[in-house]
Amino acid sequence: MRRLGGEVWFGLILLALCSAVAVLAPVLAPYDPRAFSGQPLERPSRAHPLGTNDVGQDILSELIYGARVSLTVALAAGAGTVLLGLLVGGMAGYAGGWLDQALMRLVDGMLSLPRLPLLILFATFLGSGLPQTIAVISFLFWPTTARVVRAQVQSVRQRGYVRMARQFGASHPYVFLRHILPAIGPLIAYGLVTSAGHAVAMEAGLAFLGLGDPLVKSWGLMMRFALNLPGLFLTDRWLWWLLPPALCVTLLILALALMGIGLEQNLNPRLARRWR
Amino acid sequence: MMLMVQDLRVTFPLDGKTGLRAVDGVSFDLAPGASLGIVGETGAGKTTIARALLGLHPPGCVQGSIRLDGRELVGLSEEAWRAIRWRRIALVPQSVGTALDPVYRVGDQIAEPLRYHLGLSPAEAWDRSLELARRVGLEPRHLRAYPHQLSGGEKQRALLAMALSCAPDILVLDEPTSGQDMLSRARLLDLLDALCREGGMGLLVISHDLAAVARLTERVAVLYAGQLVEVGPTAEVFQDPRHPYTWGLLHAYPDMSTARDLRGIRGAPPDPANPPPGCRFHPRCTQAIDRCRREEPPLREIGGRWIACHLGGLQTLLRAEGLRKTFFVDGGEPEERVEAVREATLDIREGEVVALVGETGSGKTTLGQMLVGLLPPNGGRVVLEGRELTAAKGKERRAMMSRIQLIPQDPFDAVSPRLTVAEMVREPLDIQAIGTPEEREAKVRQALQTVGLPTSSDFLARRAHELSGGQLQRVVLARALVLEPKLIVADEPVSMLDPSEQARVINLLKEIQTERGLALLLISHDLALVRKIADRILVMHRGQIVEEGPGNRIVTRPEHEHTRVLLEAAPRLG
Ligand SMILES: Nc1ncnc2c1ncn2[C@@H]1O[C@H](COP(=O)(O)OP(=O)(O)O)[C@@H](O)[C@H]1O
Ligand code: SF4
Ligand SMILES: [Mg+2]
Repeated sequence: MRRLGGEVWFGLILLALCSAVAVLAPVLAPYDPRAFSGQPLERPSRAHPLGTNDVGQDILSELIYGARVSLTVALAAGAGTVLLGLLVGGMAGYAGGWLDQALMRLVDGMLSLPRLPLLILFATFLGSGLPQTIAVISFLFWPTTARVVRAQVQSVRQRGYVRMARQFGASHPYVFLRHILPAIGPLIAYGLVTSAGHAVAMEAGLAFLGLGDPLVKSWGLMMRFALNLPGLFLTDRWLWWLLPPALCVTLLILALALMGIGLEQNLNPRLARRWR
Repeated sequence: MMLMVQDLRVTFPLDGKTGLRAVDGVSFDLAPGASLGIVGETGAGKTTIARALLGLHPPGCVQGSIRLDGRELVGLSEEAWRAIRWRRIALVPQSVGTALDPVYRVGDQIAEPLRYHLGLSPAEAWDRSLELARRVGLEPRHLRAYPHQLSGGEKQRALLAMALSCAPDILVLDEPTSGQDMLSRARLLDLLDALCREGGMGLLVISHDLAAVARLTERVAVLYAGQLVEVGPTAEVFQDPRHPYTWGLLHAYPDMSTARDLRGIRGAPPDPANPPPGCRFHPRCTQAIDRCRREEPPLREIGGRWIACHLGGLQTLLRAEGLRKTFFVDGGEPEERVEAVREATLDIREGEVVALVGETGSGKTTLGQMLVGLLPPNGGRVVLEGRELTAAKGKERRAMMSRIQLIPQDPFDAVSPRLTVAEMVREPLDIQAIGTPEEREAKVRQALQTVGLPTSSDFLARRAHELSGGQLQRVVLARALVLEPKLIVADEPVSMLDPSEQARVINLLKEIQTERGLALLLISHDLALVRKIADRILVMHRGQIVEEGPGNRIVTRPEHEHTRVLLEAAPRLG
């Protein structure tokens, strides 16, 4: 492993901040985000630093609790994507032969589908709970991971020390866990970060389109509600209602992307390029 | 049958009560005009047998039976023995130096038995001596000389003339060629050969000079620690030794035509005062099983050969039958096929060093990988210790895999960059779940010591990129040794190392092979390198084994034209 670059540190710090906010939300938030703590559409004040929304909920509190939603989605959907990708790609790359062929057909098929319309379609049909959102995002993004993982597993599998382990009598699970997985570890880390970034963006997008969980106030949903107000841009209200959640989403995605870029430098450049 | 020796036992009294049993239950017989060789290392009891046949041991030492034309000789009085020595059985003793009396002329000493045993007059006896001297290639002047005036070879001839003087029925030669230069040795062998051909006389040649025995005898008995381990026709036994000891003895034997370094049998012969229980060869045997430690194997006839071994002789460790491997190179529509190995058949015996040579691309590595089970063959099978490796699964496969290990060409590829030296060497033990963590640790250190690597905690914590190629190859070797395999397949194990390191690693490999009694398949493109340590060489060309034979034969008299090409390409074949 090479030393981590500055951009990774920057990303890490942002992510840490975001996580701290999410964890400490009950302490940091001045109000219960669902409580009607003020008059509708209050301007920023001492009591409500970012004002209130159209039903009188504290926007700052909503923003702070929103970090929980976004991070949950990032983590869960990122992990889901990587796990699925690892499972399919790892199996295909390790087993080879007809299984590899069949699984890669599937991956190619999935990749040729248009993602966004599918996402909307699924979200519409499956309903709009947070778990559904996570499942849908994972489901749509795993094929990219699978493909990269497969390529890497295929090349690691041919290494002398991996084959030698079989020679010492090792079982396939041993070989996979002891040798293959550590060898593709950096790739997995990179995949996790990248997928997490995608997931945050997707969740925000879905919520923004009204396909998210209406009861879980994510940053995307906040933006949607703000934009639902007729004439939002006629006043400077958008500055404290729309801009903060938009900025938060952007910063979180940026943090993850920066970390991805840093990790990418530790990877075989050819493989990393394929991911994009 | 003229001479029948049955269950001969010779026990020398030691200071204590228990005697030293120098010969323990030896049986053989000798027909008129026949010849028998008895071979074995020094101390095996060869001279003791010879002296027993002449009644030269103190009374009471010899048990069992020695019959000459049906008459029992064991227990005869000194008086009765005198009538038999010289006239019926004559001995050319091992120590030429002390056998002749320094104060008498050689001729008189040859004439003495003639006068004494045959009652000839001094003149008649001298005439016969002259005649005998001529027969053994001595000149009249030699007869007038004193022993110290003769060379070793001439003294040997004089003794031979003495032994022949009374026209014995049986001539016993104890180490007839020892202490002679090559030229007089050759002349003596010619002479003895001619004498035997004259017929009638039974010949017993006792020697560690295998070439002499091969030249002079029809049958041979192999003696180990006072017991016979193999008996059979000389040519067959030397061509195809069946008992592990015979095999080792033959391969330890420096042959004029072999370019190979001397290969020892591991360990040393047992102390005759305290022989090991069971098969006496078991501490040195590469294939000993539990039973060998407890039970003494009887000498049994197996396929025309008498062998004392519980397993019926040297075992085939690994056998490959009709192995085939075809690789498909895709890309381009009609798929290109590469027949890397076609119908390769070979076997490797216990403790044997076999070299597989051939130019790059001839299929050596592919064959090696199929042999160790890394690559599934397209056809044929690999049988390891009687069980089919190619068909083994699960637990059985895991057990078989520990018996056979591979040393690949590129040590950097063979170890994980993520593991420490300790983890690398321990991995096979972890996989096979052998021993407690402490025991594994101890085995790792021991293996590292064996291959000459440090065992400091600093070294154990290093990773591949912190080691030199030579060190890393030793780590790979240590890793192959922790499972105590029976066979190591080394695929160009030194080709990535610099020349001085090459020699060191090859010598190390050879040393370990002998010490542990492993079989070794050494894959190489370098005939000059492998001929130093290989017992047998297989030549591979375009996926087929085109020639196979003992190392010296392949190097001196190659039959296949490709072998000649390889030989010409080999450097420093002086
Ligand atoms: N007279 C003896 N007293 C005690 N031990 C003897 C005597 N002669 C031979 N031995 C022992 O018997 C064993 C066999 O010796 P020997 O017959 O000379 O072997 P070889 O001729 O095969 O070299 C050796 O261990 C030797 O030390
Ligand atoms: S296999 Fe057993 S009986 Fe046979 S020679 Fe070896 S130790 Fe002796
Ligand atoms: Mg002797």
